Amino acid sequence: MPSMVSNPFSSRHTRPGSIAPLDATGSPINLDVLLDRLHGFGGTAAIVGPHGSGKSTLLTHLAAALERQGGRVPRIRLHSRADVPAVWMAIRRASPGDTVCIDSWECTGRLVGGLLRMVARVTGRHLLVTSHGRAGFPELVKCTTNPALLRSIVGCLPDHELWLGTLVHTADIDRSFANHGGNLRESLYELYDRFEAAVSQIQGVGGCRSYRPCRSCGRRPQNS
Amino acid sequence: MTVSADRGPSKPKIEVQFDRPHRQHEPREQLAVRYRIEGCDGERIRAIEHSVLWYTEGKGEEDLGVHFFQRVTDRAMMPPMTTASAFSTPLPQSPLSYEGVIVKVRWCVRVRLFFEDSRDFVSEHVFDVGHIPPARMPSART
Repeated sequence: MPSMVSNPFSSRHTRPGSIAPLDATGSPINLDVLLDRLHGFGGTAAIVGPHGSGKSTLLTHLAAALERQGGRVPRIRLHSRADVPAVWMAIRRASPGDTVCIDSWECTGRLVGGLLRMVARVTGRHLLVTSHGRAGFPELVKCTTNPALLRSIVGCLPDHELWLGTLVHTADIDRSFANHGGNLRESLYELYDRFEAAVSQIQGVGGCRSYRPCRSCGRRPQNS
Repeated sequence: MTVSADRGPSKPKIEVQFDRPHRQHEPREQLAVRYRIEGCDGERIRAIEHSVLWYTEGKGEEDLGVHFFQRVTDRAMMPPMTTASAFSTPLPQSPLSYEGVIVKVRWCVRVRLFFEDSRDFVSEHVFDVGHIPPARMPSART
């Protein structure tokens, strides 16, 4: 068997869309309820919350749900103000009634953002955005975090029954949450490192790099 | 490592057998894979996709390259007519499998089932290409 073992905290498993959207209590979010609320706002609204609070994850799932309803849903992720022309182009290319999903709306700035919002409204395009504040949009949902939510997310990661409690402990999860002020993304990155360190320790002791019971030596991972 | 994801009630299982012991392959050599599909419970399959691909894994942006892709739509090659099948492809010279701390490069065989009701099921099976030793953390935290 390959010596490699997947790190459950890698982007592959934690990127927006890989994890089901959970509310602050760790329960799955009912997307249909949110879509009804979005339609009630006329199709334009903002998902609001601080860095790493699950806004992009929720946006990804809502965009997919809108597509399943038969809509065309262009998606853009802004990294800086230099990406703003892409928003303008997406609004122009969209048809009336389409929903353009924009992650990190705050990158547009207040003035340009207001202009884009007005253009979308006048031309009949809907905007579903993520932002740190309402930025003039109706608030669809406000994302918040807590340690229990991070624990719930970790409990959804692949093979968690094999490494949770042995390589990564609840205390590690709570510590990473505190270290990053509730930023889930940064917390998961820290847990990625924690996992690598724990697996390296197994490798150093037994030469076997797996959190599964090893097929060749039968060894199980020990508490680290 | 096997990653499976499905979006439906049935729980198919895909057993993959590699032609090299320990799933250890050399660059440029022929990769031959046989697989068996179980647990479809009579559900009709519309297509099966075979792919051999590499991807990076880490904390940041990911990369991916599809080396081999084949879509099978012949019903004679699918359950319930046939539950076992095979495919092969020559492997390239690079990238080689790499187990780094910050980033990893993995190769995998992916078999994807598309059911008539538009659900799909994906099964991935990792294998190694080359012999790059794994990186070690400078000092493992406890």
